[in-house]
Amino acid sequence: MLKVKKSTPYFFLLPGLSMMLLLVFVPLIMGVNFSFQNITQRNAYPRTFRVTERVSEDTVKITTQSEAAQVKYVGLDNYRKVFQSQSFWKVFGQTLIWTFFNVFFHFVLGLGLALILNQHLRLKGLWRALLLIPWAVPSYITAFSWRWLFNGDYGLFNHILAGLGLDRISWLSDAFWSMFAVVTTNIWLGVPFMMITLLGGLQGIPDELYEAAQIDGASKWRQFWSVTLPMLKPVAMVTVLLGIVWTFNMFNIIYLVTQDNPHTDILATFAFKAFFVRGEYGLACAYAVVILVILALFSLLYLRMSKDNQVSA
Amino acid sequence: MKSKYLLFLCVCVSVLLLACKPRSEGTDDTADVTLQRTNQPVTISFWHTFNADETVTLEQALKDFKQAYPHITVALQQVPFSDALNKYKTVAQAGQAPDVFRSEIAWTTELASLGYLMSLDAFLDEEAQQDYLPAALRYAKYKGHVWGVPQVTDCLALFYNKDKVGAPPKTLDELVTIGKQLTSPGVQYGFFYRGDPYWFTPFVWAFGGELIDSESLQVEIAEPPAVQALQFLKDLRETHQIVPQSVDFANDYDNMMIGFKNGEYAMILNGPWSTADALSGPEFKNPDNLGITRIPAGPGGYGSPTGGHNYVISADTQKLFAAWELVNFLSRPEYQAQFALKNNLLPTRQSTYALPEVKANRIIQDFKYVLDAANTRPVIPQSGALFIDLKPAYQAALLGEKNPQAALDEVKKAWQNLLETD
Repeated sequence: MLKVKKSTPYFFLLPGLSMMLLLVFVPLIMGVNFSFQNITQRNAYPRTFRVTERVSEDTVKITTQSEAAQVKYVGLDNYRKVFQSQSFWKVFGQTLIWTFFNVFFHFVLGLGLALILNQHLRLKGLWRALLLIPWAVPSYITAFSWRWLFNGDYGLFNHILAGLGLDRISWLSDAFWSMFAVVTTNIWLGVPFMMITLLGGLQGIPDELYEAAQIDGASKWRQFWSVTLPMLKPVAMVTVLLGIVWTFNMFNIIYLVTQDNPHTDILATFAFKAFFVRGEYGLACAYAVVILVILALFSLLYLRMSKDNQVSA
Repeated sequence: MKSKYLLFLCVCVSVLLLACKPRSEGTDDTADVTLQRTNQPVTISFWHTFNADETVTLEQALKDFKQAYPHITVALQQVPFSDALNKYKTVAQAGQAPDVFRSEIAWTTELASLGYLMSLDAFLDEEAQQDYLPAALRYAKYKGHVWGVPQVTDCLALFYNKDKVGAPPKTLDELVTIGKQLTSPGVQYGFFYRGDPYWFTPFVWAFGGELIDSESLQVEIAEPPAVQALQFLKDLRETHQIVPQSVDFANDYDNMMIGFKNGEYAMILNGPWSTADALSGPEFKNPDNLGITRIPAGPGGYGSPTGGHNYVISADTQKLFAAWELVNFLSRPEYQAQFALKNNLLPTRQSTYALPEVKANRIIQDFKYVLDAANTRPVIPQSGALFIDLKPAYQAALLGEKNPQAALDEVKKAWQNLLETD
C-alpha cells in the first residue's frame, strides 16, 4: 500500500476549506455579529460632507467634514424588534404556508409523474423531455409568463372568468389569490426536479423485490406501500429536505410574480427589504439569523426522524 | 495530535475575532483640498436611467460634447430605474461611485445626507441658479448647499381621450359625472387609478391635505383630508364604479397604458415621460386626440406631485472639473430642448422654456400649465423612503382589508419613526 504522510490529506483539503472559510464562514460570522449591532446604512461608513468653493476660474477648494462610523453593540435589540413586530408573525405564517404547499405538491406531483414515467411507456424519452421543460426554461421567463396569465385586466384566467360571466379576480393583489398565484407558479417550476430525482430513486429499486411481492400475492397498491415507498425513502427524505430549505429561502419567484406585495412576503423577502430597501443592516441580519436557526433546528429534527425509521436493509 | 487541534482552534478564534472587530473607521475631522482644472485626457463614468429613446437623444448630445471637449471621454452605463438607487449606494459605499449619476429628486437629498455626493456650490452659484425653476431647484438643495443640477422636472397630469371625454372635468365631482357617462362595465371605464401611492398624492392635496408639513415636519397623512381622499378613491370603485372592479397592483402601470391607448380607459393620470408611449397607441393616431390638463380640483384646489431628476456628482470623484463640464454641457438650454422636443421631458430652466421651438410645442405647454399648480414635498433625506410605508397601507385600504383611517394611522406612526432617524 502507498504510504501517505498524515498531513497530506489535510493539504488536499486546504483549497476547499479556505474557500469555504472565505465565502461561507466569514460572511456568516460577520452577519451574526452585525445582528447584535445598531448598524444601518447611515452609520456603517464614515460619513463625509464635501462642500466646494470657487477660488478662481480654474481652482476649486473642497472642504471635507468627516464623521466617523458610529456602530455599537446593542445586545438583543434587533431580535427584540424582530419578535415584537406584528408583521414578523404574519410573514412567518406565510412562509410556512408557502413552504408547505410548495413542497407538498412538488412531492406528490413529482412522485406521480415519476411513477408514470417508470412504467413501460412508448416514447418515454419524449415524455420525459416534455416534463422537464418547466425546469429547462429560465425561471424568470416562466415567472413572467405566469404573471401575464394572472394579469388582472388582460390575463387569460380573468378572460376566461369574464367569458363565463363570473367576476374577475385580483390574482396578484388579493391576500389569498396572490399567495395562490406564487405557489402555483413555483409548483410548476419545482415539479420536474422532484420528478427526476424520484425517478432516479425508483429505477434503483431492484426488480427482484417486486417479483417476490408478486409471488407473495401482493396487489399493485400493496407493492407501492410496502416496496416502492420504503425503498424510495432515502432519496425522498433528502430531496424533501432540500426542497424545504430551498423553498423556505426562495426569493426570485415571489418578487418576479407579485413584486413587492405584503401578502406574499416570506422571511427571505422580508429580510431583503430590511437590508436593501430600508438599509437596516443590523435588523436584516437578525432576520437572517432567525431564518438560519429555524432551518438548522428543522434539519436536525428531520434528519434525526429519518434516521430513526430508516429501512433496515 | 492535541497541539494540532489547538492550533486549528486558535486560527478559528482569531478569524472570528477579526471578523467581529466593530466598525469604527474614520475620525471626526475637517480637511481642505484644492483642485486645479487640467486638460489631461480623462474618462468620466456616467450612470443614467434614461429609456431607449431618451438614450438616443443623450448620445447625440454626447457627440457634440466630445467635439467641444476632446480630452473628456464619457463611459455611459444605463441602469434600470428601479434598481438604480440601491446599486448607486452599494458602489458609493465601496468608494467606486460613477463620477456622474442621474438621480431622482427624492434620492438626491438621501445621497447627500449619506455623504455620497459632492456639493456643486462652486459651480452653480446664486446667479446661475436664477435660471432654474424654483420648484425643481428646491429638491437639489440640502443643508444650504446645492447637490445636483435639475435635469428634468415632471408632475402627474390628467391624460384624457378627447374624442370620448370632450371637455375635461375641472372638479372631482365632474370627474365622477363624466366618468359615469363614459363607463360601460367590461368594455370601457371612465377612469383608472393605480395602487402606487405616488398616484394617491394628487388626491391628498386636492382634498386640502398634506403628506408632511414642509415647515414643521408634522406628519399630516392621517388627518381628515387625506382620509377623505382615500375614501374618495374607494368610492370611485365601489359606489360610482367608474374604474374596473378587479385590481392588479403588480401590473397596473402597464395595464393602465394599454387600456388608455386602446380606448378602454377614457381618463388616466400620468407624467410627461409617458406621452411618447401614449401617442403610440391606436386611439392617438391623431396626436391631437390626447388631452393633457390639470388633475380635477377638489375642495383644497389642484394637486400634483412635482418630480424629476438631477445630475449629481460623486463625492469620491477625482475628475471634478471634467464631471462638471459634462453636467453643465448637458444642462444647456439647447440640449434640454432636445430632450423636451424629442422625448417630451420637461425642461428645468426658464431660458429653455423661452426658446421658440419649445414655446411652439403643445404638449410641453400643456404640462407647463399643470406644473404651475403642482405641489412640492418636503425636502428631507427620508422623502424617498416615505413611499415604502405608504404603499402597503394604501393598498390594504384599496383592497378593503383596513379602513382608510386605520391604514393611514399606521403610516403616520411609521413616518414619525422615520423622521426621528437623522
